Amino acid sequence: MKGLFPKVFAIFRKDILLELRTKEVATSILVFALLVLVIFNFAFDPEASTISMVAPGILWVGFTFAGVLGLNRIFATEKENSCFGGLMLCPVDRVVIYWGKLASIFTFILIIEVIITPIFLILFNLPLFIPMLALIIVVATVGFAAVGTLFSALAMNTRARDILLPMVFLPVVVPVIIAGVKATALVLEGRPLGDMAIWFQIMIAFDIIYLVVSALVFEFVIEE
Amino acid sequence: MENMCFLFAAYTIIWAVVFGYVFYLYRKQRKLQQEINLLKEIMNKQK
Amino acid sequence: MKGKDVLRDNVLLGLGLVLMIAALYLIFIYVPTEREMGVVQRIFYFHVPLAWVGMLAFVFVFIFSILYLWKRAMKWDILAHASAEVGVVFITLVLITGTVWARSIWGVWWTWDARLTATLVLWLTYLAYLLVRNYAAEQTQGARFAAVLGIVGFIDVPIVVLAVNLWRTQHPPALIFEGGITSSMLLTTLMCIAAFTVLYIIIVIQSASMKNLEAEVESLKDI
Repeated sequence: MKGLFPKVFAIFRKDILLELRTKEVATSILVFALLVLVIFNFAFDPEASTISMVAPGILWVGFTFAGVLGLNRIFATEKENSCFGGLMLCPVDRVVIYWGKLASIFTFILIIEVIITPIFLILFNLPLFIPMLALIIVVATVGFAAVGTLFSALAMNTRARDILLPMVFLPVVVPVIIAGVKATALVLEGRPLGDMAIWFQIMIAFDIIYLVVSALVFEFVIEE
Repeated sequence: MENMCFLFAAYTIIWAVVFGYVFYLYRKQRKLQQEINLLKEIMNKQK
Repeated sequence: MKGKDVLRDNVLLGLGLVLMIAALYLIFIYVPTEREMGVVQRIFYFHVPLAWVGMLAFVFVFIFSILYLWKRAMKWDILAHASAEVGVVFITLVLITGTVWARSIWGVWWTWDARLTATLVLWLTYLAYLLVRNYAAEQTQGARFAAVLGIVGFIDVPIVVLAVNLWRTQHPPALIFEGGITSSMLLTTLMCIAAFTVLYIIIVIQSASMKNLEAEVESLKDI
């Protein structure tokens, strides 16, 4: 258990450094998410009365699409450069690889969300500083990352990974999306924490369950 | 009476889908049998 | 085919036939018409058992998936695959009959009520389970990935049901099943559940033995 954290951190650091150097995935995802937000504005008439009802949904659809795209791209570059093969050669527990990848994917998606959210708030004329919203996003992203790491490793080795990833990922994370949208809607209405408690409970339960399950099952996905 | 139509439609669909699935299994089985016969022929010829 | 197997299959087929005829009798002749919805309510007697047996199928997919990842014997994967196929067919029927029923009662094809929505998500999950086998690079990888999905997907079911139910209670509920369940309704429903369970078993055995045969033929081809 002692040597676990340094190994996880090493994997995490490699991914972050790689992304910092190339920035290729991040920029494309950001632009895409922005486009999603803008296009949804055309889909829904931005009248003041209805917009507050659809805004949370638009935000989370943006997150979901950007998340799926990001997951695809991260593992695609891994596959193209055969980084994963090298990773598999390391004498580490498979679970360590999972935690390392999870850390970098979580950070990655979170950074994208951190950039998208203020833009979203501006576009929809909402107050900019909402700490509760940040909490919702962080908790939900843990769930996204836990499942996303597992499934993108799975899809990476298949023929049509671009289609397969959303197909397996989206149904499973439905609870997170529902909870995220509902909680965000409540926050934007200015409701107290008590109203949102149930949605937080669902997200946290989802996070814990899937962190454990994905870690356990990950080795079956990447074995040769 | 109109509601009877819905009832009929529902049960017909159930019957059609289940029958269709069983038929699909049956067709796959026939194809398999053909393949086995073909393989048997080839193996016999090689003797 | 071994004598034991033939006997078992014939027994199951006979039993299935008897149960299904009994079920049909109960549905159309024995049970009285429900007050609220009229004749269409009889759809319930296939709709609900199909859902139950479909869920049962997925429980078995979960169990077989774990067994496959643990023992790595082909037969567990084949059983999981067969069970999932039947499960998806049954759940598809649940969705279609639910739609027909909804159309007859409320005049709309689809409502985003808790049960239909959760069933839809479930259906999508296991559809992905079936599709992943096609997209995998080769057979054993497909079996492995499917097993993973069989486990992950099943664990999701209670969470999805909970989340969707909470989601819907925030809106006015579209469906309430008025009136209690009488004993005759219960009997009819149970009989249908029994009939469909036997049907499920028959099809899974049939499908599994065929997949076995397929695998044998494939390995013969390689010679």
